Amino acid sequence: MTAITIEGVARTFGAVRAVDDVSIAVRDGEFFTLLGPSGCGKTTLLRMVAGFCELDTGRILFGDERIDTLPPHKRNTGMVFQNYAVFPNVTVGGNVAYGLRARKVRADEIRERVARALKLVQLDGFAERWPHQLSGGQLQRVAIARAIVIEPHVLLLDEPLSNLDAKLRVEMRGEIRQLQKLLGITVLYVTHDQEEALAISDRVAVMRAGRVEQIASPRDIYERPMTPFVASFVGTTNLLNGVIGAREGDAAEVVVAGTTLRLTGVHGNAGGKLTLSMRPEALRLLSPGEVAPARYVTLTGTLGEVEYLGPVTRFGVMLADGTVLHLMALMPPAASGQVTVAFDPQRVVALGAPA
Amino acid sequence: MRGFFGRNAFPLAVFAVAIAFLGLFFLLPLLKVFGASILDASGKHFTLANYTSVLSNRFFLNGLINSLGIAAAAAVCTVLIGVPFAFCLARLPIGGKAALLALAALPLVLPSFVSAYALVLLFGRSGIVTGALQALGIPFESIYGPKGIIVVYTLTLYPYIVLPVTAAFKSIDVSVEEAAQNLGASRARMLRTVTLPLVLPSVLAGALLVFIEALENFGVPFVLAEDRPILSVEAYKLFVGETTDNPASAGVLGMLLIVCTVAALLFQRSVLARRNFATGARRSAPVLSVGPALGRLGATYCWLVVGAALVPFVAVVVISFMPFSGPVLRTGFSFGNFVQLFERSYRPLTNTLMLATLAACGAMLIGVPIGYVVTRHRSRLSALIDIVATSPFAVAGTVLGIGLVMAFSSGFLILTGTWLIMVFAYMVRKLPFSVRSASAILHQIDPSLEEASINLGVPPALTFLRITIPLMLGGIVGGFVLTFVTVASELSSTVVLYSGPWTTMTVAMFQALEGTSAGVAAAAATVLIICTILPVALVYRLLRRHELSML
Repeated sequence: MTAITIEGVARTFGAVRAVDDVSIAVRDGEFFTLLGPSGCGKTTLLRMVAGFCELDTGRILFGDERIDTLPPHKRNTGMVFQNYAVFPNVTVGGNVAYGLRARKVRADEIRERVARALKLVQLDGFAERWPHQLSGGQLQRVAIARAIVIEPHVLLLDEPLSNLDAKLRVEMRGEIRQLQKLLGITVLYVTHDQEEALAISDRVAVMRAGRVEQIASPRDIYERPMTPFVASFVGTTNLLNGVIGAREGDAAEVVVAGTTLRLTGVHGNAGGKLTLSMRPEALRLLSPGEVAPARYVTLTGTLGEVEYLGPVTRFGVMLADGTVLHLMALMPPAASGQVTVAFDPQRVVALGAPA
Repeated sequence: MRGFFGRNAFPLAVFAVAIAFLGLFFLLPLLKVFGASILDASGKHFTLANYTSVLSNRFFLNGLINSLGIAAAAAVCTVLIGVPFAFCLARLPIGGKAALLALAALPLVLPSFVSAYALVLLFGRSGIVTGALQALGIPFESIYGPKGIIVVYTLTLYPYIVLPVTAAFKSIDVSVEEAAQNLGASRARMLRTVTLPLVLPSVLAGALLVFIEALENFGVPFVLAEDRPILSVEAYKLFVGETTDNPASAGVLGMLLIVCTVAALLFQRSVLARRNFATGARRSAPVLSVGPALGRLGATYCWLVVGAALVPFVAVVVISFMPFSGPVLRTGFSFGNFVQLFERSYRPLTNTLMLATLAACGAMLIGVPIGYVVTRHRSRLSALIDIVATSPFAVAGTVLGIGLVMAFSSGFLILTGTWLIMVFAYMVRKLPFSVRSASAILHQIDPSLEEASINLGVPPALTFLRITIPLMLGGIVGGFVLTFVTVASELSSTVVLYSGPWTTMTVAMFQALEGTSAGVAAAAATVLIICTILPVALVYRLLRRHELSML
């Protein structure tokens, strides 16, 4: 299959820089996700790869072949649209055969490949049905079958699950991932749902205002975010401002909320400011009388609002300087009033100077 | 390079054709009318004398006042009739709503001057009802003059209110009304403070259309005004020269008509600018539960209005099958009127069918691509084309006809007296409708369907043929039929442009009215009604979705 290289691509609509100097290298056979809030440019970038949006600058390659100069119908990409875009005037079989007919494939081979594609998406026997007889999930399967049957260089998916209900969404994303592994196809996937992106991808690019903030594996995106935006957009986190103290190579002392921490991976000079990210589940509320494990740092504060969510409980602790820390634990807190929060400094991420 | 020859070639070609067509057959004629109004007799020097002489003439000044007064009165009357009708249709539990809506929309495709003529046959000086009343000793007031004209306009133009306002009532989200009631408003208060204000923009939009249609109509005042001046009729008389040929004064009257229309448009815009109530109903407000008495009252009202509007047409059809001796109607059954009508020639009928077919083809051929480009390729240029292509509806048919004669009776292109100039006039007049109906259908077709086809390897032009056209087909056929029937019953530009061999059915009726052949006129009217009802009935299922887009 094919690697996708996006080099220095930009596009301006009026005064808005929809895509602003983006470079991404998607590996052959990789499941690559563009993640970001609405208006961040992720769909525009996908449409550039498909050929429905022109580039102001930059270029796009499939393997070694430059494709941004080709018209969209000659790029051999399979695209799955947010609203399915299943042709209502053609049967399910006709929809899946549409791209093969455009490629002048022999009739008997078309029949065979359509049947195989429908089987892959668990719609065998549906070829004669009409789109209006199908449910949303089934329409989505038709759209996927139609896109993969042409054996495209890359599969492009534009928020394909956003019109499905929550349960079906989780089921379908698993199927899409399995299908991708089975076919070994390169996938470029667009979503605004961070959980979906983490669950399904080999790598994720988090985008914001037309720019790429970070490209990394789902685990690194969550555990090693590089900017405050990535840290707060993917999951929830506590962002605290701190001041850098004495340095020692890569490690440094950081003063935050009245406490001094020793952290690694700190950039910036002594006296400089930085932002720290602490995930709610990395913070632990000590039960009365419990002693923090070695290496852990403790902070004291007042227990605030408690939200019981079923599998987990969320609550806030207000520190002496007024900062509110958000915590998450499996059990509701046993303590009340004055409490102690403990955490492993290794799970604190230093993010550079606050914006 | 790809951009230029690939995706932008099609819109550019459409723009070129649209600009050439509208420039030649719409803007140039208007310019000629304007020119005639501001030039002296030699045609070389600028002068305002034409305007001062027309505006200081009591007769023409009365014409202006009559035209404006009648149009305004028609707008008010249609609102008074149409809004309650729409409310009953949308919100009261009455039976036969689909039939009611279909019958209420029918006057839109029927020729309004036939209704006016029916009024004369029934209530005119020697009318059937008038005669019967006089025999009983009951005095009956004359229906000629503004009164009768307003009655005809009200009965034929009220669908312009009913269709958009019914849709507006249905598009109010249930939650808005529930919120009003939750906050303590009674149902009457809710209707007054929430429901009615929300449909106001649609009421105003409909009223504007009624005003414009009433202002430009030629046939109805021609039948009913007698010697009272009406602008659209006087412009025709001045130009065709019943007394003396006077293009300068005809030009002034034409410009006055256009100015009135534009003023009404601007007034409506300024009122609506401050009210943008797009609520986009998730769930329409439900039919109100009212007592059976109120429901029956609503149903009675609706059927009465629909009946009153259609009775004149039925009466004409019945009368056309009765024998006349001269202008006097006798009882009995006879094909005599039809024999008399077709005695000389079938040409008027074949002309009407041919011209309407050609004009409908032409209007769709130019209008559908314009509608496509305007909807799918948003740009400043396409916004401009949209405005130019939809503005012919604001220009009276007589004025456009006069302009076309002025532009094409000499010079580089001579078309006066040919059938071609009639087809061009019809195409220009119906273009707004074909553009609007095409873009209305396209709004319902998701652009990603076309993108999906291109993505699967089918080039844009082929995609347009294989995906877009089939999906638009129902709408295109509907638009074609509606264009056909409205052209078939067109009189205002025809009466200026036709020449002997190209007499249409409407002109045949017009000529019979001018003479004393009441029977022939009734027969011609019946033929016209058949020509419009039959095609509409054939494709009614297709049309239902597009009733609104023709407004």
